[in-house]
This record gives sequence, structure tokens and C-alpha cells, in this order.
Amino acid sequence: MNPEKVDLESLPYTEYIREILNPEEIFDKPEPLKGIRVLDIGTLIFGPMVATYLAEFGAEVIHVEMPGRGDTMRPLTPFADFYKNLAAGFEATNNSKYHITIDMRTPEGKDLIYRLAKRSDVIVENYRPGTVDRWGIGYRQLSKINPRLIYISMSGFGQWGPFTFRPSYDAVAQAVSGLIETTGFPDAIPLKAGAWIGDFYGALMGAFAVMVALYWRENTGEGQYIDHPQAENLMRNMDWTWIYIGLTGKNRERYGNRDVAIVPSDIVRAKDGYVAIAAFNEDEFRGLCEAMGRFDIFEKYTNIEERLKEENQAVIYKVLHEWAREKSVAELEELAEKFGFAAAKVMSAKDQYEDDHWRARKSVWIYEDPIWGELAEVAPVPKLSETPGRIKWTARPVGIDNEHVFIRLLGMSQEELEELYKKGVIGKWDENIPFACPPPDWDGKSGIFFP
Amino acid sequence: MGDKMAEDVKDVNQVPWDEWAKEHCDPFKASRKPEALEDVVVLDLSYGNFAGLYASSLLAEYGAKVIRIEPPGGDISRKMTPFGLKLKDTGLAYIVEGRNKYHITLNLETEEGREVLRELVEKADVLIETYKPGYMDSLGVGYRQLKKINPGLIYCAIYSYGHFGPKAKSNRPDYDVVNQAMGGIAWTTGIPEEYEEYPEHARVPTKLGPWLGWYVGGGFAAFGIMVALYWKRFTGEGQFIDVSEPEAMAKVTNYYVQYYHAKKKVINRVANFDPAVFVYTLVKAKDGMAFMAGFSDVNFYALTEIIGRPDLREKYPTIKERLTPENWPVVLHEIEKWTSERTQQEIIQATLDYKGEGTCVAGEVWTPKQTFEQENWWLRGGLRKIRDPDYGEVVVQGVVAKHEKTPGRIKWVCRPVGADNEYIYKEMLGYGKARLEELKSKGVI
Repeated sequence: MNPEKVDLESLPYTEYIREILNPEEIFDKPEPLKGIRVLDIGTLIFGPMVATYLAEFGAEVIHVEMPGRGDTMRPLTPFADFYKNLAAGFEATNNSKYHITIDMRTPEGKDLIYRLAKRSDVIVENYRPGTVDRWGIGYRQLSKINPRLIYISMSGFGQWGPFTFRPSYDAVAQAVSGLIETTGFPDAIPLKAGAWIGDFYGALMGAFAVMVALYWRENTGEGQYIDHPQAENLMRNMDWTWIYIGLTGKNRERYGNRDVAIVPSDIVRAKDGYVAIAAFNEDEFRGLCEAMGRFDIFEKYTNIEERLKEENQAVIYKVLHEWAREKSVAELEELAEKFGFAAAKVMSAKDQYEDDHWRARKSVWIYEDPIWGELAEVAPVPKLSETPGRIKWTARPVGIDNEHVFIRLLGMSQEELEELYKKGVIGKWDENIPFACPPPDWDGKSGIFFP
Repeated sequence: MGDKMAEDVKDVNQVPWDEWAKEHCDPFKASRKPEALEDVVVLDLSYGNFAGLYASSLLAEYGAKVIRIEPPGGDISRKMTPFGLKLKDTGLAYIVEGRNKYHITLNLETEEGREVLRELVEKADVLIETYKPGYMDSLGVGYRQLKKINPGLIYCAIYSYGHFGPKAKSNRPDYDVVNQAMGGIAWTTGIPEEYEEYPEHARVPTKLGPWLGWYVGGGFAAFGIMVALYWKRFTGEGQFIDVSEPEAMAKVTNYYVQYYHAKKKVINRVANFDPAVFVYTLVKAKDGMAFMAGFSDVNFYALTEIIGRPDLREKYPTIKERLTPENWPVVLHEIEKWTSERTQQEIIQATLDYKGEGTCVAGEVWTPKQTFEQENWWLRGGLRKIRDPDYGEVVVQGVVAKHEKTPGRIKWVCRPVGADNEYIYKEMLGYGKARLEELKSKGVI
């Protein structure tokens, strides 16, 4: 971006792109959602993560939790293994937010929500349908206070319909959408995704839906309500499943790692690990067959229609597996580079974390958090050249930003706050619940924004 | 101020909430309402990549004018279809993502074709492409050239390795399976090696069945484009967006990178368990599989009450014991003594009938065909049967989010290769029949 430094026009392409997306210059650039305030009153992942995606692009997100214990997500960490009181799951679900507490079931708590809603652009919630309406802080109530408000409800099955009041989790959505039954091998068991993808990815699509509403609001000044169902989102992402069932009347089965619509495309066992391989167009398929030393296969199945026939798929996949078994992961990746087909190691979080390419892209975002010290996140995903996303800090202790928000934003007095603390309407972390607390080695000051 | 607001909100209509929601967010009333993105023009140059196609579908659902630009022979994505099944000349997967898009052809390998593209770019807000990094640039129609023609252009490039970094110059193409592999989801999905009751070939890292390695990338691309469009509204400024699908996949693959950094420990595949939540697993039912959850102390209480096994609470009193991997198969075995005697429906009913403390959640594991048969999706427009003039009657997934005032919609399902050449080239660039004939004879369209 600095014309004295480099002549952008003369740079090779990827270096030019590196200059305009330079990870070291992210904080020198503006934030696209600055000025958008999001009230994140939900819990666990499906609601709060919507707000996180917006926070990463500069929205001011206020995460509201219960006094004392905080969000139900706070203890979610693998094997009950915390990092200085911080749960990995809670960390991944919340960054760059302000953490306050309000007991929303009390009249005083409700009043605080009204005051915040009046000053907010977006509200995100993910309680069971009808709950916030019953509490008096639903869209019907809050849109009267603030007609510009965009109010999104994230739920398993949406706000109406036969399944509306069923309880739901990520795994329920995976199960009822059919995703689980399409994953795994036909002669073993159906498999849940090894991550809460219905939550983390569903929340992204919630953030997209909010952006659509924000864009529209610039035309009319009007907010609106959005009903975002988790299971339907997974179904939306199941490519040809529904049109196939509609046309053939047949079920979509589990095909293991094989793709029955792109041949070949599979995960193979190499000598020292697992590798995904794919080659669909003619050049790629020729390259793969040359690498395998099986030009006969190329000649026989050059035609894509031939390759997609069920009986031919079996032949091609057998050849592929037998060949790959004798190679190492590195050899397969090199051959792919040379012959122009796709091959990539099945990567663990360690592989990703240590990958030079991801590091050079700052896709693994290592940073100094003011409270917890050095941490790593997966960076904001779309990389924007003029208004890039960024991670400022991670999830914070329960109620730590009460003063920052209630005094600086709402202009409340210390006396008012003391009264609310006394009544238990707001509160800080409960000292007896480690995952609600700052780290044990905390100095009592670092990372407090106000006072 | 607080009291006044409390007064205001009291006055809400007493219609039950779900009825209100249906009345205001019914997708079947969408055609009576405005479209949020109706002033946005998108050029989608995706080739052989459903991340790009899905991103432009999302924009098209909300009213953007999406112009699909294919080479004269058509996008190879039209051939990616289960067992070669096609309608007319187009594969099933492509038909699903052809929605609301104008389909034109243009040969970028000719200078005249590139000149036509430049003319279109002048009138566009967004361009999406999925070629290898540098391909468009080498043709003189990359971001650095096109932004001079149109400084408001949002140029979104999608590729497995992204457009910068040491591997961005890779010669390897972008496919769903490699995105799932690099994205970390394949590593953590599947049956562990040591579960010997399953066949060996099934005890491997496993990809998700559908093309989530593409779709998730496409979702992030569409989100990035919306953020950039919002910024453009205030500044008129366009920008470059780089989306790598494996990075997108890693972003939705829980906390695994965070945990590795903090603890230097890798989360491996755990079949249908969950490293951070137990009970939260699939169980065998009489008629298939079901999902059951009861994790926190109070919810585990509920679960053990329902299955009549208070002894399990004494043995596994806190989440510490319940998150010890060695205990998972043991507890599961105990739970299955109860579930395997019951149908999915009976299990679910038992959790719904429970009136004590805590909540135990259960749900059916359906095959796609069973899912297809549930009335719920058809009532909510999650699945739609559409009669399309080009492709006949087809079932496709509908619009997910239900916006109250600017609902998304499906106007048509797909179009054949080049079907909108005449309309789009006339409407946007003023080309008449003679000009189109000329371009056609030169192989440009």
C-alpha cells in the first residue's frame, strides 16, 4: 500500500496480492462495521457466534450473560482441560466483544435491555422459540423502542412449524437434516461431523442474513426480524441431495470418502498418512493417470460420463487406492504439483497451526490478549484488502465490562450500578466458579477498559 | 425513560409468537415484498467450483442481478453430478445453484471476449472468480487491471490456498475433498483406528458426505462480499477479497487450533462422541439410531432419571469423569441397554414427558429420504417443489433465513448454457443481433 516501497504494477501477481492484503498492516486500515452495535443476548454458540463474525469486522458487540456463572458455554473445553480458567470452546466462540451481565428475567434487567436495545443496531438471540417474547424482550417489544433494530433469532427449527418447540442442539440439526446419514461408510455407522458445524457455520449464515438486512436498512431506515433455522441451513448445504431424491425416489446413501458426482475424488491411505486426491477435468485426470503410470485408465475413461458410471467408479477407485498405498504423503503432494491434479494431506490442527503457508497468510492469528497472554485463533476468513477483519482480544471474564458499557455507553451513575449489583441484577464473576473468573495469575488490572 | 419504554412494549398484540412469526416471515408471501439486494450487479465467473456458485446463489436469493459467465462450452460444474445423472444437459448439483441467475457465455481466451468482460465490469458491483491465482491477471482482467476501470468493484477470488502465501502459486486444482482435508474436518470426523468392531477401511479420517468443503467457503465469500458492499455504500470504494475454503472450514471446526496453541494437544476423531460434551452422542435404538444429550450435572441428572439409572450419577458425578474418554464407551453401553429396547419415537417421547429438573434432549437420526418426507420443511419452504420452464418440476432447497421485510426467494431454478446471451448483452451493453452473430462466429460467445 506504500507507493514508495513497492511498484505494485510490476510485482508478480501473488506478491501484488500480498501487498494489498498485507497481514502486518491490518490495524492501519478502517473497520467496515464500525458504528454498528450488536446486542448479543444468546448463549452457547449458535447465537453468540453470529455476533463474533460481526465483531471481527468492527461491530461493537456487547455479550450479555447471567451474573456470577456467565454463559453456559464457559465450561466447554475438551476433557475438562482449561487454559488458565479459559475454556477452548468459549474462547473460539467469543472474541473482540464486551462482556456484561444482566439478569434479564428481572424488571430492572429488562429495563437495561430496553436501554441498550434503544442504542443498538442488531440483536441476536438463540433461546427456544417464544422465550424472549415471553420475557418481554422479543422483536415485537423491542422494535417499538427502536424501529431501526435488526433482530435475528437463531433456533434449531425456526420460529414456527411442527418442529418449532422441539429442543435442539447442533447434533440434532445434523441428525434430522440427513447430514449424519450421508457421512461415513455404508458398511459401518453414520457419523456426526467432528465439529459443531451446524453451530459455527450456521452462525456465519446468520451473520450473512444480518448483513443483508443492514444493507437494506440504508434504503429505508427500517429494521426487521429474521428467523434463522439451523437444520434448514444444513439441508441447504447438502448440494444435490434433495433434487436427486425428488427425481429418483432413491435415498442418498453413505459413500465413505468417495465422491459419486466427481470421479475420482477420494481420501486415500498413504504410507505415512492420509491424502485427499481429486482430478475431474481431462487434463487433471490425464495427469493423475500419468503419475500412476496407468495411461490405459485415462484412455478408457477419458469421457466424464463413462467415469461417473457406478461400475466404472469402482474400477478407478480401486486403482487409485492401490497405487497411493505405496507412496508417502509428500510424494503424492509433489506428484500432484507436477502433474496438475489435486492432492492434499488430511491436516490436523497441529498441521494447520504449524503450516508455513497459513502462517504467512496470518490465517493462524497469534496475538497477545490483555488478560490471558499469548493465544491463537483462526483468523477472520474473508480477507478484505481495504477493510480487513481482525481479532482484538478473546472472551473476557464474567461482567468485566459492566462499568465500561453501563457508564460510558448508557451514562449510568456509580450509585445506580451499586444498587443493581446489590440486587443481583448485574454482577461480576463468582470467585468459586473458575471458568467465570480471570486467570489465576491475573494482576487485577490488566485488560480492564474502564475505570 | 425506562418506564416510558416499559409502557410502549406492553402494547404488543396478543397473537401467539409462532403465529406472529409465520404471518410475518412466511416465504410463500415473499413475492409481495421488496428484495434487499436489487441494486447489486454480480458477475460470477466460477469454474468447476461450487464455493463460487453457492456464494452467488446466496446473493441471487436476495435479489442481486447475478450474471453467470461461462465459457462457450459451459462450466464443467454442470458435469459434476451423481452417477452422471442429468436433466437436459445439466447435472443435478448445478441446477440447484443456478437459481435466479442469468446465464451467458464469454470466451476470456480471446481479446474481444476480454473487452466484453471489461464493458460488463464497468456496470458491476461484484465479481467472483475461482481460477488459479494469476490466471485472470495474466489475461489482463485481474483485480489490478479491473479496479482501474471500476474503482467500486468488489473482486472476490476463491481458491484452496488463497491468492497469496508460499503455496498460492500451486498448480493443484481446488476440490471439495481437498478443502475438507486441509480444513481439519476430515481429521476429526470418523471412527478411531482402535474401534476394531468396524471394518478397517472405515476406521479412517472421513469427509462429510456433501460438499461442505465448498459450501462453507462459499458462505464466507458471500459474507465477505456483503461486508464489502456495506462499506461501498458509504464510500463508493471497492476492494479485493481473498477466500481460502480450507481456512473457512477451520474457522467452523470448533476450537481445535486454539486448543493446540494453548495445550499442544491434537483433537483426534472420536466416532460419535464429543471431546467436550458427554453425554452428547448417538445411541442405538430399536429402529435405527438416535441422538441423546445430557451434559451438565443437572442435565445428566435428567438423563439418568429418564433411563432409570441413578447409579450412573454416583459413578460419574462431575464433568471431569464424564469427559474421560475411557468412560465413554462404558457409559454408552449402559445407556444403550435402555435405548436399544425402544424406538426413536419412544426415546424422544420419554425425554419430552420428563418433568423433573434439567433437560435431556433426544432426536432422530434420519436418512435424507426420511428427512425429505417431513412436512416441516415443506411448510417452511426449506424444501421447495418448483416448476421451471427449462428443467421441469424439481425439488430444491429453499431460502434458509426468513427475513420479515426483504425475504429471499427462488424465481427460477436454472438456465441452459448461454440462454440469456441475447437478453443480457442487449440490456446491459446494447448489442443487437448482428453484433451477437459476429461474436458467435468468432467464438467469443
